[in-house]
Amino acid sequence: MRFFCRENWGQQLRQATALVGLLTLVSGCDWMPGKPKPAERWQPDTAITDFANLYQTQCAGCHSRDGRMAAARPLNDPVYRAFVDPKIFRQVIAQGVPGTTMPAFAQSAGGLLTDAQIDILVQNLLAGAESDRATLRLPPYRAAPGDVQRGAVAFQTFCAKCHGKDGKGGPTGGSVVDPNYLALVSDQALRTAVVVGRVDLGMPDWRGYVSGRPMTDTEVSDVVAWLISHRKK
Amino acid sequence: MIKRLQQIAQWFDDRLHLTKLFESTAGHHVPKSSGSWFYVFGSGTLLCLMLQLVTGTCLAFVYVPSADEAYLTLEYLTYQQPLGWFLRALHYWGSNFMVGIMMLHMAQVFLFGAYKYPRELTWITGVLLMFVTLGLAFTGQVMRFDQDAYWGLGIGTAIMGRVPIIGSDLVHLMLAGPIIAGETLSRFFTLHVFILPGTILALIGVHLRLVLAKGINEYPKPGVVVKRETYDQEYEAIIKKEGVPFVPAAISKDLVFSALVMFAIFTCAAVFGPKGPKGFPDPTYIQTAPQPDFFFLWVYSVAALLPPYTETFVLLVGPVVATLALFALPFISNTGEKSARKRPIAVLTVVVSLLALSLLTWAGIRSPWSPEMTAWTSDSTPAAFLKGRSPLELQGALVLQYKQCRNCHSLDGIGGERGPDLSRIATRLTRDQLIRQVIQGGGNMPAYGKNLSPAEVEALVAFMLTLHPSNVPPVRDSTIPAQAAL
Amino acid sequence: MKPKSPSTPTKPCACEGTSRRGFFFKLGIGINVVAGSLLAVPIIGYVFSSFRRQAPGQWIPLGALDQFPAGTTRLATYRNPITRPWDGKTGDIPCWVRSMEGGKFQVFAINCAHLGCPVRWFEQSRLFLCPCHGGAYYEDGSRASGPPPRGLFEYEYKVEEGKLLVKGGFIPTLAQPLSKS
Repeated sequence: MRFFCRENWGQQLRQATALVGLLTLVSGCDWMPGKPKPAERWQPDTAITDFANLYQTQCAGCHSRDGRMAAARPLNDPVYRAFVDPKIFRQVIAQGVPGTTMPAFAQSAGGLLTDAQIDILVQNLLAGAESDRATLRLPPYRAAPGDVQRGAVAFQTFCAKCHGKDGKGGPTGGSVVDPNYLALVSDQALRTAVVVGRVDLGMPDWRGYVSGRPMTDTEVSDVVAWLISHRKK
Repeated sequence: MIKRLQQIAQWFDDRLHLTKLFESTAGHHVPKSSGSWFYVFGSGTLLCLMLQLVTGTCLAFVYVPSADEAYLTLEYLTYQQPLGWFLRALHYWGSNFMVGIMMLHMAQVFLFGAYKYPRELTWITGVLLMFVTLGLAFTGQVMRFDQDAYWGLGIGTAIMGRVPIIGSDLVHLMLAGPIIAGETLSRFFTLHVFILPGTILALIGVHLRLVLAKGINEYPKPGVVVKRETYDQEYEAIIKKEGVPFVPAAISKDLVFSALVMFAIFTCAAVFGPKGPKGFPDPTYIQTAPQPDFFFLWVYSVAALLPPYTETFVLLVGPVVATLALFALPFISNTGEKSARKRPIAVLTVVVSLLALSLLTWAGIRSPWSPEMTAWTSDSTPAAFLKGRSPLELQGALVLQYKQCRNCHSLDGIGGERGPDLSRIATRLTRDQLIRQVIQGGGNMPAYGKNLSPAEVEALVAFMLTLHPSNVPPVRDSTIPAQAAL
Repeated sequence: MKPKSPSTPTKPCACEGTSRRGFFFKLGIGINVVAGSLLAVPIIGYVFSSFRRQAPGQWIPLGALDQFPAGTTRLATYRNPITRPWDGKTGDIPCWVRSMEGGKFQVFAINCAHLGCPVRWFEQSRLFLCPCHGGAYYEDGSRASGPPPRGLFEYEYKVEEGKLLVKGGFIPTLAQPLSKS
């Protein structure tokens, strides 16, 4: 067989080009599955700006991955979103709540999150809260505890059905006067629980304890005062 | 035309003596029985080395061995330089294959009794080659100068620091300074690209020279015993009777295997890609959990699983004993049976070593002894453990997260695995036992006494007492009458 | 070398003792040893110069005291006193500063006493945890559990002009712990 004759040049050139092309394709394959993707490039945790990632790594432990049932309040509850004061919400994430199980996340307080990352969490967690706030007409987020005596009465009206007459637990709700429980929650957490309830655990909000008769602002403050009165001094 | 070419070839051969060289090296006569599938690992290891030399040289075109810039060049290679990632992957996978095939080669030589008279030196140079290869693997891991490399060096430093008397001098020698920094990398770079490759090539020269001088081991037959007085004549007789030139008669299986190895390395590199680099080597960035490369995972496991008081002894004396044993092997069992069929202890040694290495490596991959440093904020309490719990018990679930218990304890298999899973803890410990364990610690658990308020303990224990399956009652304190316990 | 005539089959070696060729061979070896040593001494000196150790333990400022409020344990970093210009970030060394009531401090090395991995402080459980093999230490640096053979390495410290200083400059190991421990 003669390789190099002028008549075949054209054809051989074409074959050679095809061969070289094929080899380039095989060995010059920048499309291979093992090629590292720029998105997988390592970055320090402080550079993460993806909300889902931040929530998953920092919040999901207590507030639950899917926001359905959690040890601490799920943060996707629209009533809670509307109820909470955004400024305080941000401060709680950054500084934590001393004496409770809410840790501080800001770097300045010994946590791992930058201010920008906390802003991302706040923005996404409270997205849509503005419009909800307008329609819900919630009791105020902050208020001083009310009157203990009136609170005892209000408790019978709104809470005793589940938590028992003395608050030590009933058919569907556990004790809310356990001093150890009260030692681990803040006054504000009690107020938030009374107003917002815990949808994930089956506890209604301030409108739903007695159907058609939402709690008034005073009643909320009174019940909170009554609960606080059970704290060990 | 052909004649003219032949003349030219002859002219060169007259001057270079290539034909003679070929006859005394690649064309030397080997026992026909050595053309076996079991005899392909040595050439396979050599092929890997050649590949490492080529890919390593290519990487050195871009890589800068400076503590400040090495990581930048690694990132450039991985994400910008065309096919840089592929060369990195080839070098990485090539090293894995080299260590693996070298181990197979060693096991085969051991099982076939090839280290016995008169090939003791061949074995000893082989052992040296193994150490140099492992040295290349470790220093190569440092070349990927990321967080793993930095803290891997830290682990090496800590092990060196356990050597009595000269420990701190060894640390200084290894790091080339008081801390892991620029000169440390330069030192490991010099080892990785000059000293160790030079040593390995020289040793391979001796190793192959010995293979030529003392011949390749014939395929051992059970019952044929090596005797110092007669072996040399017997081997000569074998070569005379059934000797064949290595090239081309005995090399075909080596060729097939080498090609398979190359395909495998190419495939692994193409499919799995390179490793890392995992994070800029900034010591002040401590959100990192260093892990050694594959072939050193078993060391990592050993360090985790040994009882602490034996650790220094085993880490320092173990390698010395193992090395001495390897060097002494051809003198301890210098003659006798070669066939693995007649050497049960040899077979057992290989099986046990292999099992130990693979199990330790497997354990190293899972590393259940490492706490999950982010579990407390990222691993949710499973909903099943929250349903119907009282406010105090829910607070207990929060305390369990807040106090980082989840970093070592899992719930429903999610969380750290350093301590026991707590999903059914109430079936094992009573209230009093739980309180004592939490307060006093013990059994590898820190005492939480000072760090928990009474309310936190009450809440935590109240929650843990609910952790039992509905069909299994919680464990009961036998000193308290059943009625009272309820 | 002078080509040997084929008619005199003498042994081609230098072991003939007093012959001229033997003398030259010895002389050749001798002057090569001298010249070789002349070259080897500075080379070895160069290599060994890197083994020479600078005085360990220097006072290093960690920062103003108000960076460490009492009752907190915070990560601080310092530039190692002995560095090379190309060390980059590797010359920055972290340490844990525990600030106690009454202006007292404890400064711990970042390295776990087990195998040198970086320990992390957990404010909530008041423990230092090591990510490698799970060593745990209490807030005062003492060993709590796990494989470490001792507590955390602790720096000697002093307060000067409102600044916290520690004595260090090398990676602590069991062979050479920090001055205080």
